[in-house]
Amino acid sequence: MEKQSKPNTPEQTPVIELRHVDKHYGQLHVLKDINLSVKKGEVVVIIGPSGSGKSTLCRTINRMETINSGEILIDGTAIPQEGKELARLRAQVGMVFQSFNLFAHKTILDNVTLGPTDVLHVPKKEAREEAIKLLKRVGVDTQAAKLPAQLSGGQQQRVAIARSLAMHPKAILFDEPTSALDPEMIGEVLDVMTELAKEGMTMVVVTHEMNFARRVADRVIFMDGGAIIEENTPEEFFTHPNTQRAQDFLNSIKNH
Amino acid sequence: MGVTELLSQYGDKYIQALFTTWKLTALAFAIAFVIGVLVTVMRVSPLKPLRVVGDIYVHIFRNIPGASLLIILVYALPYLNVVWSYFTCVLIAVSLIPAAFCSEYLMAGINTIDIGQIEAARSIGMTFTQVISKVVIPQALRASVLPLTNLLVATMLTTALASQVPLNPRDLTGLVAHINTHAVGGITAFVISAALYCATAVVIGQIGNRIDRKVRILR
Ligand SMILES: Nc1ncnc2c1ncn2[C@@H]1O[C@H](COP(=O)(O)OP(=O)(O)OP(=O)(O)O)[C@@H](O)[C@H]1O
Ligand SMILES: [Mg+2]
Repeated sequence: MEKQSKPNTPEQTPVIELRHVDKHYGQLHVLKDINLSVKKGEVVVIIGPSGSGKSTLCRTINRMETINSGEILIDGTAIPQEGKELARLRAQVGMVFQSFNLFAHKTILDNVTLGPTDVLHVPKKEAREEAIKLLKRVGVDTQAAKLPAQLSGGQQQRVAIARSLAMHPKAILFDEPTSALDPEMIGEVLDVMTELAKEGMTMVVVTHEMNFARRVADRVIFMDGGAIIEENTPEEFFTHPNTQRAQDFLNSIKNH
Repeated sequence: MGVTELLSQYGDKYIQALFTTWKLTALAFAIAFVIGVLVTVMRVSPLKPLRVVGDIYVHIFRNIPGASLLIILVYALPYLNVVWSYFTCVLIAVSLIPAAFCSEYLMAGINTIDIGQIEAARSIGMTFTQVISKVVIPQALRASVLPLTNLLVATMLTTALASQVPLNPRDLTGLVAHINTHAVGGITAFVISAALYCATAVVIGQIGNRIDRKVRILR
C-alpha cells in the first residue's frame, strides 16, 4: 500500500483531498464543486443547516456514496471504483455514525476485533489485546463481554470509536456522533474525540456542538445548499464570519 | 387390530419407518438450508442477474405442490435419461420447496438488520462476502430460528410424500399404507404414525425454542 505514495514528499500530501466534487440525487444537486484538503493531524469541523449536504460529503470521502464528477484522493491515491481495492481503501478511513451501528450480534470486544482479524488479518490474540487497550482508552473496557444493546448510547458510541481506531485509520470521519445521545452522555463522547484530536488524529467532524468546534477544530467549514460557503478558523468563524449566510446560521442556533 | 397387536407385529417396522422419516427430514432440511442460504445471498447480491435467478427460484418452488414435483422427478426425468432412485427423488422433492421458504424467512430476518450496521461493516473495509457472512447471515439466522423450526416440522410432514413411491424401508406414512394393504390396521395404524410425527414435532419445537432464547439478539 505504501508503495503507491510518492517517495519524496509524504508529509505534504493531504490525507484527504477533494477536487471539484459534484454529486446529484436525480434532479437534486447535493454537492456543488466541493474542494477540500485535510492535512495530517488536522481537525476539520463541518457545520451547516439540515439538508446542506454534510452527511453526503462525509460519505463520499470513503465512497459510501458515489460522486458524479471530480476527484477524491486519500493520501494521494484516488479512491478505487469498487471491489477489494475499494474495501482496502475504506479500511484506512474510519467512520463513526450518528446511530453507532455496532454489530448487534457480537460482543463489545468482538465488535472491535472483527475488522483487525478479518480485514487486516491480525492474529486473534494480538487483536484482542489491542482491542482491550482501545476499550480502556475510551473507558468501556469493563463492558467488553456484553452485547451492544446492554450499553448506554454514550458507551456504544465510544465503542464505535474504538472499533474505528482498531483499524489504525489515516483519518476518521464523524457524522453527528453525539446527535442521537441523551444530553448527559454527549460530554463523554466529545471528551474521547478531544483526546483523539490532541493525539494528532486526522478528523473530519460533522457536528452541531459549537463549543467542541470552537475548542478542537483547526478549521471550520460552513456548508449551505450543497456548497462550501465559508472556510475559516474557529475564532474568526464564531466571532465574525465572512458571509451573511454563516452569520444567519449562527444567529439561528444561538436563539435556541 | 388393536395398538398392542399392531405393535407386536409391526413394531420393528414402525421403528424403521420412524428412522426413515427422520433421515429424510434431516437430509432434506440440511439441503434446504444450504440452498436457502445460497439463494438468499443471491437475492441480496449487488449483481442483478443473480438477484433475478434467486427470486425466480423462490417464486417457482414456493408455489409448486410437492406431489407435482415428485411426479416430475419420478416420471418425467427418465424421458431425459435421468433416472434417480426413489429415495433421491423424494429427498430432492422435499428439499427444493422448503429451500424457497427458508430463503423467505432469511430475507425477513435480513430486513430486521439496521442498514447502518452494513455501512459500518463496509466502512471498516469488509468486502461484500465478508459483510454477508459475518454480519448479515449470522443476524438473519438468529432472527429466524422460530420460523426455521416450524419449517423443519413442515419438512418432516412433507416427507410423507415418500408414501407415494415404493421406498424401502418405508417412511411413517408409507408404512401405514403398507399395513392397510396387507392387514386391517385401520385408523389405529395411522394413529401410531401420527403419534410418532407429533412426538418428533414437539421435540423439535422445544429445541427450537431453546435455541431461539439463546441466540436471539437484544435490540
Ligand atoms: N439517498 C438519497 N436520495 C435522495 N436524496 C437524498 C439522499 N440522501 C440525502 N438526500 C438529500 O440530499 C440533501 C443533503 O442531505 P444530507 O443528508 O447530506 O444533509 P445534511 O447536511 O447531513 O443534513 P442533516 O443535518 O439533516 O443531517 C438533502 O436534501 C437530502 O434530502
Ligand atoms: Mg446529516
